[in-house]
Amino acid sequence: MYFKHVVPEKPELKVFSKNPGFFPFFKRKKENIWGFFNFNNFMAKNKKNEIPHYELLYIVSNKYTEDELKPIVLNVNKTIEENGGKITYKEDWGKKKLAYSIKHFNYGYYSLAEFDIEGGQVEKIDKELRMSSEILRHTIVVKIAKTAEEIKAEKTRAKVIVKKAIKEKRKEKEEPLKKEEPKTKVDLKDLDEKLDKILDTDDLL
Amino acid sequence: MTNELKNEKACYFCVNGIKEIDYKDINTIRRFTNTYKKILPRKRTGTCSWHQRKLATAIKHARVMALLPFTNK
Repeated sequence: MYFKHVVPEKPELKVFSKNPGFFPFFKRKKENIWGFFNFNNFMAKNKKNEIPHYELLYIVSNKYTEDELKPIVLNVNKTIEENGGKITYKEDWGKKKLAYSIKHFNYGYYSLAEFDIEGGQVEKIDKELRMSSEILRHTIVVKIAKTAEEIKAEKTRAKVIVKKAIKEKRKEKEEPLKKEEPKTKVDLKDLDEKLDKILDTDDLL
Repeated sequence: MTNELKNEKACYFCVNGIKEIDYKDINTIRRFTNTYKKILPRKRTGTCSWHQRKLATAIKHARVMALLPFTNK
């Protein structure tokens, strides 16, 4: 399967009313009037002459052992490099349970590869992966390469999210711990006296 | 009248500043699905329309790769 998974950058809206000056119409002409529809900003990342960045995730079927898995992964990497791609990142997720059975297999080996390659060559890789019997399923997705600053920002964001989650969990735990009102204990002696009184009376029926 | 749906909810992705929704991290995506594994509407979760479209594609990608189920058996 081959999907396009592009997230174009949102063009920033320019607010004219921030500093309109003496006569606002002059300033407007100097600035970009089409602030919300700037073609240079729109789809800027794709229009550059840089080589696009792709991400591949594939499942190897469970009938192979982990020793037999290594040549299969190497074979996939070789096909990428033969078609003129450069692998930038590799990751093996190991054996995982599938959410539903594919060709009667309930488990599979997931592995991930990111690479730079020219646009036309992706279809060849896609075709070869589709033909191979070892790989159950695969996806190739267009990805925007991240700079070092963006990766740093993401890590800090992730920390904040985890902290929030922990705080919410603590609040949930504390709320049910409110002390319930202690029940008033009934003395056994009082009960006995009351019972005797009832039993002593002759007109029970 | 008090309506639960009308309570103001913020978009999870806007608040945390997430631009791209990754189809591989299941733990965040999974929260926006039903017990029947259907995609929840915006009314219910409070995500903005721009992110809801990205989230729907991400869930569909994850389903194809058997990271998330299509239905609950």
